[in-house]
Amino acid sequence: MDGDQLTDAFVELADTMVAEFDVIDFLHLLTRRSVQLLDASAAGVLLADPRGELRLVAASTEAVRVLELFQLQNDQGPCLDCFRTGQPVAAPDLIAAGQIWPQFAAAARQAGFAAVQALPMRLRDQVIGALNLFQATAGGLGPEDVRVGQALADVATIGLLQQRGTRRSETLNEQLQGALNSRVAIEQAKGKLAERAGLDMDQAFTTLRAYARDRNLRLSELAQAFIDGSPADFPGLTIPATPRPD
Amino acid sequence: MRTQRGGRHSQQQRQVRWPFSHPAEAAHGPAGARPEWWPAPIRPAWPMTAARAALLWGLVAEEAARRGGQVAAADVCAAVVAALPVSGAWVMAQGTAGAGHLMCVTDEVGEQLAELQMTLGEGPCLDVLTSGAPVLVSDLDEYAARRWPGFTPQAGQAGAAAIFAFPLRIGAIRAGSLGLYRDKPGPLTGLQFGDVLILADAAVVVLLESQHPDGTSPAPGVGPGGQPPDLARHRAEIDQATGMVSEQLDVAIGEAFVRLRAYAYAQDRRLSEVARDIVARRLRLNPDPDPPRISER
Repeated sequence: MDGDQLTDAFVELADTMVAEFDVIDFLHLLTRRSVQLLDASAAGVLLADPRGELRLVAASTEAVRVLELFQLQNDQGPCLDCFRTGQPVAAPDLIAAGQIWPQFAAAARQAGFAAVQALPMRLRDQVIGALNLFQATAGGLGPEDVRVGQALADVATIGLLQQRGTRRSETLNEQLQGALNSRVAIEQAKGKLAERAGLDMDQAFTTLRAYARDRNLRLSELAQAFIDGSPADFPGLTIPATPRPD
Repeated sequence: MRTQRGGRHSQQQRQVRWPFSHPAEAAHGPAGARPEWWPAPIRPAWPMTAARAALLWGLVAEEAARRGGQVAAADVCAAVVAALPVSGAWVMAQGTAGAGHLMCVTDEVGEQLAELQMTLGEGPCLDVLTSGAPVLVSDLDEYAARRWPGFTPQAGQAGAAAIFAFPLRIGAIRAGSLGLYRDKPGPLTGLQFGDVLILADAAVVVLLESQHPDGTSPAPGVGPGGQPPDLARHRAEIDQATGMVSEQLDVAIGEAFVRLRAYAYAQDRRLSEVARDIVARRLRLNPDPDPPRISER
């Protein structure tokens, strides 16, 4: 990571926050920047729901094997430990980490990863979720990268507060629920499009996202409109999009 | 449809009725206010456990048993008022174009507040229908008056000092809204907020089942995954499968969810497992006019 990359990323995130803002799109951008800046293979933002369950709201990839790794960590893994303690949790070597999290470490290694890092999303005395990073080579993040990673996790938290509101803690609760609900709508839209167009879930997500970006729509709004509407309302949506660089 | 009156209304604050309580609440009462010396630990935002969710769902079932009927929206409202320091609650079902009709309400003030919003076309309960996020107004102050200039003064006159509105949604599935009011200002604590969200989950399922009646559907008292609440976990596959079923059966997303649940219940399988099979294309729900039959491939 060089200084220019870092500067560009933060300027871009700041720009997104002051412009027409959608929290899901913002968090998605943040995960993709995290992957670039921290030399990770995959990143995900997880938020806690009312049952204390960690739920994915945005990830740098929608590959099923990776999404499963996020879901798995409700039983064991660095994200769960990070969430409970409010501290960063690192596993620079997933082979050794098999002693602490046997099922999770095995699944992560099978998915092709060798190291994992979880950084807490904290607001005052609350832990609301975690930024989860996976790497293909062992070794883990250096201290400078951990600082940048924690800053990105903090930016994600601030992003959640972006919508106007007077009472901070109430706004956070409101926004968390909104973000969790938006993600569910996106998953439903993935399913509907996958079925209609014969795509897999990863392709369906890419297609929805590309369609939204091309028409300057919020992904969560597109998801709702697509589910409510009829096929004629979305010409061209069934044409699969290929992943494009951001 | 006649509005159901459910639950009790009382002038004073309600005690939480079961033994489980957060340490802060046990020490300082249901308002949960912490003194300055209480250390602020790093804890999850909502120290919810699956056991607490089970307790809350049980409270809803208890209300239904007390009433002598199947679980309905009125029982969720009654459970809300029993479990939380609020003065009243109501559920509005979403119509095809905006706010629909009042399904149940616990008291007269609540009824006024719900009807005011429907008449004026403004208010926290209407905002949540479009935003998909809760709207918490712990004090009907000048900020609220700017946001809802017609509703706020009349709500105050009716006797409300705080209003909390929750969308009843599962992603793109919009069932309606849950409204709570308090005759004194003050916010919900994190714990109370979490409690309402759990009860709102129950309300969504109740509303959906009432909108798409299916004799084989499991009781709303079971968890959102279709299994006992302490096992119910949110799974992305369930959401994806809901979308797929909506397309497969050519039905609206809410009905797709009800049919998916009904299928899992009829097959005595976990909803998450059925969903996984559908997403992996091992299973497909086919439309069948009369009566509905499911074919497996």
